[in-house]
Amino acid sequence: MKLELGYIFIKDIQFAETSKVENGTLYVNKEEVKALILEDQNFKSADVELAKPGESVRIMPVKDVIEPRVKVEGPGGIFPGMVSKVETVGSGKTNVLKGAAVVTTGKIVGFQEGIIDMTGPGAEYTPFSQLNNLVLVCEPIDSLKQHEHEKALRFAGYKVAMYLGELAKNMTPDQVDTFETPTLVEGIKMYPELPRVAYVCMLQSQGLMHDTYVYGVDAKQTISTLIYPTEMMDGAIVSGNCVSACDKNTTYHHLNNPVVHDLFAEHGKTLNFVGVIITNENVYLADKERSSNWSAKLAEYLGVDGVIVSEEGFGNPDTDLIMNCKKIENKGIKTVLITDEYAGRDGTSQSLADADVRANAVVTGGNANEVIELPPMDKIIGHVEVADVIAGGFDGSLHADGSITAELQVITGATNEMGFNKLSAR
Amino acid sequence: MCTIVPISLTVGANRIVPTIAIPHPLGNPSLTLEEERDIRRNLVGRALRALETEVTEQTVFEK
Repeated sequence: MKLELGYIFIKDIQFAETSKVENGTLYVNKEEVKALILEDQNFKSADVELAKPGESVRIMPVKDVIEPRVKVEGPGGIFPGMVSKVETVGSGKTNVLKGAAVVTTGKIVGFQEGIIDMTGPGAEYTPFSQLNNLVLVCEPIDSLKQHEHEKALRFAGYKVAMYLGELAKNMTPDQVDTFETPTLVEGIKMYPELPRVAYVCMLQSQGLMHDTYVYGVDAKQTISTLIYPTEMMDGAIVSGNCVSACDKNTTYHHLNNPVVHDLFAEHGKTLNFVGVIITNENVYLADKERSSNWSAKLAEYLGVDGVIVSEEGFGNPDTDLIMNCKKIENKGIKTVLITDEYAGRDGTSQSLADADVRANAVVTGGNANEVIELPPMDKIIGHVEVADVIAGGFDGSLHADGSITAELQVITGATNEMGFNKLSAR
Repeated sequence: MCTIVPISLTVGANRIVPTIAIPHPLGNPSLTLEEERDIRRNLVGRALRALETEVTEQTVFEK
């Protein structure tokens, strides 16, 4: 399966009479976007704001970040099974508004959304501070239940991202990158001397709004399976997560999965990138056993020499991570795990809830418990008062001058377990 | 009493009684209240029996 990603680089975003992309600027008709959101009667009001790199702006509570994309050639549309029809995507051509994003906000759970600062020390922790963001501020009707609010906001994000992506449908990209995954048989013949590597991508699926969707199916109702990496680039996997902000995979992460991109970059050079296994993180022990059995079985079936496993979330998903590690290693396949740590504010506690001697090659996204100081910003988009209850915040987190003292986990994407973040050791 | 037995084993618990699921260890919202009460009674009974049982190593009480 072969996909050409055409990047149209966005360097600025502005409101305008007509939505369009011109000379690297994304112009947005605010009223059209608001009307699109308010098609859903679950919202009583909608507002749209801009947040650009370097501005003194704090966005909170952030639910999801979505990159605008559009199918140019090939079957299906972006977000298949969710918005577009259930067509197999991942081939042909897709255009991307690289440098732009849609950010959805709202008090859904309150404590399980995150913060994006566009400048200052907080901005250093999140990749989304570097994007030209269109921020959706959607207020739900009074009677709306949390899970209905989550769903409505999720779809508002997709619809607006697709609306923006559509602006680039007929544009000539600034840069085109090609990604191709051959069949298993062809792949073995192409690079017989190189180690065969697969990627096990763990999807948050604990339920109660800790959910990820694959072609529209709730991942907790799935069993570990294979997916072409280019399907992910067309939005086959999306986030429906209301969970600690620092290590949830937003839809943006799924579209731009850095493990996939790096494996493609090394494909044919240092390794043979065979494919992607997706597996879930459910709350029943039997589900955890079954899903990890299957990811190990599929890795064995693919005949790979090594596997990279990325986790999503923390706590009991650490057990899914360790089960995947143990069972894959027991097949004689080497594993490298990507996770993050909850090692206490001083960093001296046990980092993960589970452990095993076979987990001997581990990459960390950082310690989510580390306490950070976020200075006041000139402008707040959303609701600043959730700072005291957001995961990683505490009573007294929000100070009178608008500054925030909280654990790193409050920042969206700060300790991302795909390795998308920018933290590194001293 | 816990759902994710491997974590209990990792942290060194001596007597472990497996439960239903992480969000509802002692119940199951898909069942009736009566059925849930039976589950709870059974699990608590098992936990009490576990406490009465001498153990020499980490022990999981499956029944």
